Amino acid sequence: MPDEVTVYALSTCPWCRKTKQWFDDSKIPYEAVDVDTLPDEEQDAVADKAYELSGGRRFPVVVINGEVIVGFSPDKFLEHLKGWGG
Amino acid sequence: MTGPSWVPTIDDARVRDGAYVAVYPKGLGVLLARIDGDLFAVANKCAHMGCPLEGGKLDGPVLTCPCHDWRFDLRTGVFLDAPELALATYPVKVEDGKIHVEVGGA
Amino acid sequence: MGSEARKESLRYLFDRVVQPLGYKFTPDEELADFLLEQEVKLEQDLGAPFCPCQGRTGVRAEDMLICCPCIPFHREHFDAMKRCWCGLFVHLDVTDPDSLPQFPPDEV
Repeated sequence: MPDEVTVYALSTCPWCRKTKQWFDDSKIPYEAVDVDTLPDEEQDAVADKAYELSGGRRFPVVVINGEVIVGFSPDKFLEHLKGWGG
Repeated sequence: MTGPSWVPTIDDARVRDGAYVAVYPKGLGVLLARIDGDLFAVANKCAHMGCPLEGGKLDGPVLTCPCHDWRFDLRTGVFLDAPELALATYPVKVEDGKIHVEVGGA
Repeated sequence: MGSEARKESLRYLFDRVVQPLGYKFTPDEELADFLLEQEVKLEQDLGAPFCPCQGRTGVRAEDMLICCPCIPFHREHFDAMKRCWCGLFVHLDVTDPDSLPQFPPDEV
């Protein structure tokens, strides 16, 4: 089973960009959504989902195989990725 | 050089208890507030981004800036969420029925 | 006011606020510039320079707690990281901002 990775991001946040770049550089496929550039009708629902997962309003919110990591934190990403000791 | 200067402003009766009035001694934006009977004078300029505080809600001694809701105790000028930050405060006195504000040397 | 001019005003205004709190602009100039640019855009669109890395809820009382500089409202968390959430401000003694971790408040 490959790793399942979702990145909830804001287009205005450099740490969200760094997070996506890290997964790109690590050649780990992921799904990403810039919450603030979604159409209005979707934006609230996706933002609420990210707030619920993270228990706050801080981005990025990274979900790796069901585990939630808040912030750009490669050490924690690695902990939860299979094949990297996670 | 002159020393500190007291500048006459409005009639004392104009500032009701629990309310404030904006005045401009020597062109300086100042809020005169009366809290529990005592008069206070603070800069009419938020310590956050310089917004005029006039128009903000006064609740007891606490004025909330209308721009971004920063809250200040008008008795001391102090910002409630970080005491390191404060509004400038000015001495006040009442003479001949008028509120005078000391706005520093000219 | 043009965006560049507004960016410079925010620099001036925020510097006065964060210094007494023990913070300064990040020495990473590129990062500071990018973040300020985002804040200018957010201010133009929404009326306030909200944090570029925190989401808004539409509830004024909640959203004003992430209006930059939001350090006073998240002091314990930011002091533990020695930076604010978006990294625009760091503690005065920080010279290598890249070394600062980003972690949520429940890990303080």
